[in-house]
Amino acid sequence: MKVAIFSTCVVDLFFPKVGQAMTEVLERFGCDCYLPENQICCGQPTYNSGYLKETDKTLHNEIDSLLSVDADYIVGPAGSCVAMLRSYKNSLKDDPEYAQKAAELADKSYEFSQFLYRVLGVVDAGAQLDAKATYHRSCHMTRLLGEATAPFVLLDHVKDLEMTPLPNIQNCCGFGGTFSAKEPEISQTMVDEKVDSVLSTKAEILISADPACLMNIGGRFSRRGEKIKIMHIAEVLNSNVDVKRIKYKKDIEKVEQ
Amino acid sequence: MGNANREEFLDFLAQKAKRPRHQLHEHPFQPLNDLPETTLSGKSQDELLEIAQKNSEAVKVDFKKVTTENLGKLLDEYIAAKKIKNLILPTTDKWNEFNLDKWQKEQAATYWQPQAAREVNIKTAQSADGAVGFADYLLAESGTITVATTAGQGRAFNFLPTHYLSIIKKSDIVPRTRQAMDKYDSDIKNGVLSTSNINFITGPSNSGDIEMVLVVGVHGPLDMTYVVVEDL
Amino acid sequence: MGIATSTKPFVERVEEAKKDKFMQASVAKAQDAQWDKREAARKELGNWEQWRDLGEQIRQHVIKYLPDYLEEFADNVEKKGGHVFFAKTDQEATEYIKDLAVKKAVKKVVKSKSMVSTEIDLDKELMKLPGVSVMETDLAEFILQEDNWDEPTHIVFPTLHKNRDQIQKVFEKLGYTGSNEPEKMAKFARKYLREYFLQADMGVTGCNFAIADSGMINLVTNEGNADLTMAIPKTQVVVMGMERIVPSLKEAEVLDNMLSRSAVGQKLTSYCSFSGKRTDDESDGPDDFHVVIIDNGRSNALGTQFESVLQCIRCGSCLNVCPVYRHIGGKGYGSIYPGPIGAVLSPVLDGYEEFGDLPYASSLCAACTETCPVRIPLHELLIEHRHVMMDKLHTDHSLTNTIMKTIGVGTGSPILFKSAMFGANTASKVVSHHDHDSVAGFLYETGRIGKLHKPVPKFARGWTDIRDLPQPAKSHENFRHWFKKHKQEQAAKGGK
Repeated sequence: MKVAIFSTCVVDLFFPKVGQAMTEVLERFGCDCYLPENQICCGQPTYNSGYLKETDKTLHNEIDSLLSVDADYIVGPAGSCVAMLRSYKNSLKDDPEYAQKAAELADKSYEFSQFLYRVLGVVDAGAQLDAKATYHRSCHMTRLLGEATAPFVLLDHVKDLEMTPLPNIQNCCGFGGTFSAKEPEISQTMVDEKVDSVLSTKAEILISADPACLMNIGGRFSRRGEKIKIMHIAEVLNSNVDVKRIKYKKDIEKVEQ
Repeated sequence: MGNANREEFLDFLAQKAKRPRHQLHEHPFQPLNDLPETTLSGKSQDELLEIAQKNSEAVKVDFKKVTTENLGKLLDEYIAAKKIKNLILPTTDKWNEFNLDKWQKEQAATYWQPQAAREVNIKTAQSADGAVGFADYLLAESGTITVATTAGQGRAFNFLPTHYLSIIKKSDIVPRTRQAMDKYDSDIKNGVLSTSNINFITGPSNSGDIEMVLVVGVHGPLDMTYVVVEDL
Repeated sequence: MGIATSTKPFVERVEEAKKDKFMQASVAKAQDAQWDKREAARKELGNWEQWRDLGEQIRQHVIKYLPDYLEEFADNVEKKGGHVFFAKTDQEATEYIKDLAVKKAVKKVVKSKSMVSTEIDLDKELMKLPGVSVMETDLAEFILQEDNWDEPTHIVFPTLHKNRDQIQKVFEKLGYTGSNEPEKMAKFARKYLREYFLQADMGVTGCNFAIADSGMINLVTNEGNADLTMAIPKTQVVVMGMERIVPSLKEAEVLDNMLSRSAVGQKLTSYCSFSGKRTDDESDGPDDFHVVIIDNGRSNALGTQFESVLQCIRCGSCLNVCPVYRHIGGKGYGSIYPGPIGAVLSPVLDGYEEFGDLPYASSLCAACTETCPVRIPLHELLIEHRHVMMDKLHTDHSLTNTIMKTIGVGTGSPILFKSAMFGANTASKVVSHHDHDSVAGFLYETGRIGKLHKPVPKFARGWTDIRDLPQPAKSHENFRHWFKKHKQEQAAKGGK
């Protein structure tokens, strides 16, 4: 199956390891990956700040680029950005040139863990990681993309990984895109509470499916000099993989029958 | 003021909304689902009683079940237990229905009087440390009694006395708010019921205004007792 | 002061809120407790999403036919001998009520909790009349009144910012000598207010929902003070926001169920009452029943992208889930309508000059949208406000504006973005440092940028003032570069 990788500007600019891990996992499950050359950014920084006019060009470029590869699916390593891609369908519904393309894009776009779980039917990616970890649930992935299950199922199946629930998991980490820079005072109190919550779990690793949240929470950890390891879920699912451990939903259902 | 004030205001809204007035008759409200009716439906009266008891007790109601035969005795015990000295009762012909004619006549009680002035009835209710009244319905889902104000059981009757007991027929337990509302709505529209006020009362008065600590009995009664008469 | 609760600028209010550790702790505690209660109540009801559909449908329908429903309601109130006054502004409303108080020679006014009466400053206006005293009878509003008319900080729990010791001090001024136990203080208030109730000759209530086809009003409360306000005084004035209307008792009942669960996690509050002018054979309840229907800026939302804000039933659950409200509390917003609904509603009512900061006081986490029982897309409306301010009114003339527009250009042009990726690492090198490494993992593989100083723009400093920034990847180490090489290697191996 052909997959176009929606790399996101954050991964392109800052985090090569996240993109690599995602590509390697997808290829392990038989995906033929492509990286559309002209993609840039989903448009959230300007759109969410109220610069809708300025965002139009960004959305059009992203659509043209991601659809330039004739892929079955479009997969990205960030729940928030994928939720934004899907929202084009609504925000461009009156755009005579792009309405249909936006709908097509929305229908085949998935966040990485969501794609593994919902499309490929994977429950155990075959990974192993001997550590105690906690998971930060991103607001946009949960509420706008509506994905609150996939990452938890996949992480629960990683061998030797002890997952500890994060208290007040429902609360935003204080990132909020440009909010974090425009309202640093408020953002600080929010991210401090999140750092404290993570510390209270005594986890060694903080995992998420949204690199931008991790950049925020990790950035505050770093500034406070508190110890933590930050991992993207793709990196976790790409750790010490033994393909013999791989399990699909259908395997489990068979066992249950 | 009257009409001119109204017309100008409403025309302005229509103009702002860019929607002409008087379109409603062609587009009456049609609910998109029937959850209000179907939620908790299909229960027997025995099941409803059980659910009502559980939910009433959850809101700190003292919930009692009794037969008409023992109702008077139960009320006597209640009055003794709460040490009620000034009892207020409604003026109603329901005493007969509940076989309480004799009991009622034996009480040295005061009454909410249909012909009395506002001040008189309010003073009586304010002086009362206990009230025994009748409810129209008991809602199983929420542990709520409903009371429509009548000439003989006024509004303040339900709020001023310190202790409050409400008598309900088992057959008047309904699943939830919808069934009670349906009956009130049709009774009012058919002229069967004339009232200016309907109270849905769920347990005693309470407040969480100080540090969100739940405090019982702020303005209304300090405690509530529901008595379900099982053979009615 | 209307809906504004402060004359201080937003940044100062936030600064003050950050120092108020008691407030933060009490809001956090309240949010966490309410989360559990609310979610449990909704779960027990079942089919919550379908209930939300119904709630939304009812509210959208009445807003769509608002003039018709208001007309029907007014007709029915008048048919029963009541009076209806339509007030375009706060001043028209308070003048009408003051005139009425004078005409009725009113001495003592009792009030139950009503946000709209706070919005129009009714208490203070009434007290301008010689010989008239006003008493707030909701426990929280009473505390605020006796604390020199402090402002509410939550639409359901107005005294969330006060602790029991502060309340004890307020009550001591009234002669209270007991402890700081809430139970004892509430008993004191009961006795104190009961005496006042018995002498009151005018009662003022708000209105949760007006019932169009019966001319009744519906109030949803827990203490019982609203019902005493409707029972004892001879004259009752209902102040209602013009959008607070439903077709019939049935829709009121649906919304009461949703309101109680959403606001306080109860199936129904202690008292849900449906009430109007007393009938001739009843002895208590108002002889004189006046409903004042208030616009006061609400019509600004009609026919616009903000119309759905009028669906609000004032349950306050968006405040109870909001992570920003959690940290800055009601005072941070500076409006009697705080939290997400306040950040959407306040600019609609009073404009961007006064409340233009509020739509930015949100991380757009959408917890508000998710919890709203009538499906107001709150976080989307916050973006809409930003859109109006930036794209249409151009209210921002700072460097941030230029930066955002530059980002707009940069993210719309592949060539520009590629050159940015190429140069980002070099450009940031001067400020990166490796002096500590408490954080392991992918974040700081290239390097770490600490606190930036002028002349770096404020916008970028906003990030690094409180957290480190990863250094951008070098162009020959970035993901695009890796991917290209990876594909070449695959091709060389003769794989796919």
